[in-house]
Amino acid sequence: MAGFEILDPTVEPRRQPLTYVPRPDSLKGKRIGLVENTKFNSDKLLRKIGDILKTEYGATETRMWRKHNAGVPAHQEILDEAARSVDAVVAGIGD
Amino acid sequence: MTARITSQRYAVDDFTQALDLCYRRGWTDGLPVVPPTEAAVQAMLDGAGLEPDTQIAFITNRQVAINAEKVAINAVMAGCLPEHMPVVAAAIEGIADPRWGYHGPATSTGSAAVLMIVNGPIAQRLDFNSGDNLFSPGWRSNATVGRAVRLVMRNVIGTLPGRLDRGTFGHPGRYTYVMAENEAESPWTPLHVERLGCRTSDSAVTVMAALAPIQFYNQLSSTAAGVLGTLCDTMRYPGQIGQPNYCVVLAGEHMRTIAADNWSKADIRKFIFENTTNSVAHFKRTARMPGAVKPEDETATRPLVQSPDDILVVAAGGRAGSFSCFIPGWASRTSSEAVTVLIKERSA
Repeated sequence: MAGFEILDPTVEPRRQPLTYVPRPDSLKGKRIGLVENTKFNSDKLLRKIGDILKTEYGATETRMWRKHNAGVPAHQEILDEAARSVDAVVAGIGD
Repeated sequence: MTARITSQRYAVDDFTQALDLCYRRGWTDGLPVVPPTEAAVQAMLDGAGLEPDTQIAFITNRQVAINAEKVAINAVMAGCLPEHMPVVAAAIEGIADPRWGYHGPATSTGSAAVLMIVNGPIAQRLDFNSGDNLFSPGWRSNATVGRAVRLVMRNVIGTLPGRLDRGTFGHPGRYTYVMAENEAESPWTPLHVERLGCRTSDSAVTVMAALAPIQFYNQLSSTAAGVLGTLCDTMRYPGQIGQPNYCVVLAGEHMRTIAADNWSKADIRKFIFENTTNSVAHFKRTARMPGAVKPEDETATRPLVQSPDDILVVAAGGRAGSFSCFIPGWASRTSSEAVTVLIKERSA
């Protein structure tokens, strides 16, 4: 039997450059955003983390946002407001 | 000038070597696949009148564009006929719809499968099973269309167990989970006409992120309220808080009993919605909600779904047997909802 060719069913994911903003050297005096993903207790977990960042690392304030659901990225409104009003963001999962 | 097929090619000596290559590359669902030759893939594309580079869908979270060529390759591997290609393409459109929310149901530990409900003339023409042994093996259309969608999820979207698929239990329906509505014998408006307002001569597929079917039995009652009362009692307790949809599949005997009382699908949905509420006290006692039970929790109730319209009623299943079933949706209303997509058949 003669040989034949088969086709590759997979794709290479689209590559895109991803650059991180510089990490702050210190959280002293910084405003922290907390992005909660709607999972049970994720708000409590992040609030606790926010408290630690304030008491132990000198952050001045925290502000929390809630995503639409755990399976989607933070929506534009969160991104816009966070860019305007905080210096660093913590996102977390509550499972 | 039509676009060309551009996927990478692998030379093999024979069928055994082709199969071995597919296994080694991790391209199968564990079962043998049909080797995707260019001729077979081209025939699959022609089945839907699609060019290879036509984009069928884009999965935002994964930044993956799904083009017709890759869908066709996976459909060949799944054992589809070219006539199935429009159904596979429509189902892929459905799971890429933001309302279906691909990343959640495909990735979650919650282990949803893609339930597909085929409606319209295409269902009968391609012999999608809508009757006896509804979810059993033996029907090529049901078996291969669902398999093709899962292979696209695996090979194109990267939904691989242990990687971007973290299901705790997985789901046997991830091999295939396809049914058609029994429109020939149903006394009711077909699902796609209800959901899209289209014509009965249109064909459509509904995709729902779904858990396993749960069967119930009622051989006693000869009334709609009696049969559905048993359904509601069965649905209420496995019910969690906030499922986005339930699909209720009414088989022959129950279908005829309910229709004899002149209940429409809207009547059925309303009855189920009103008779599947649970008390907050029940949720707290069974650790589905936090906190101690307060006196007012005994009378405060929660519905199973947000609206009667979140219950999909489908006539399907065997003519004989006093059984019907319900299929809970995955997760919550904000995470994923059932989507119905028209099937674009190639015009002759």
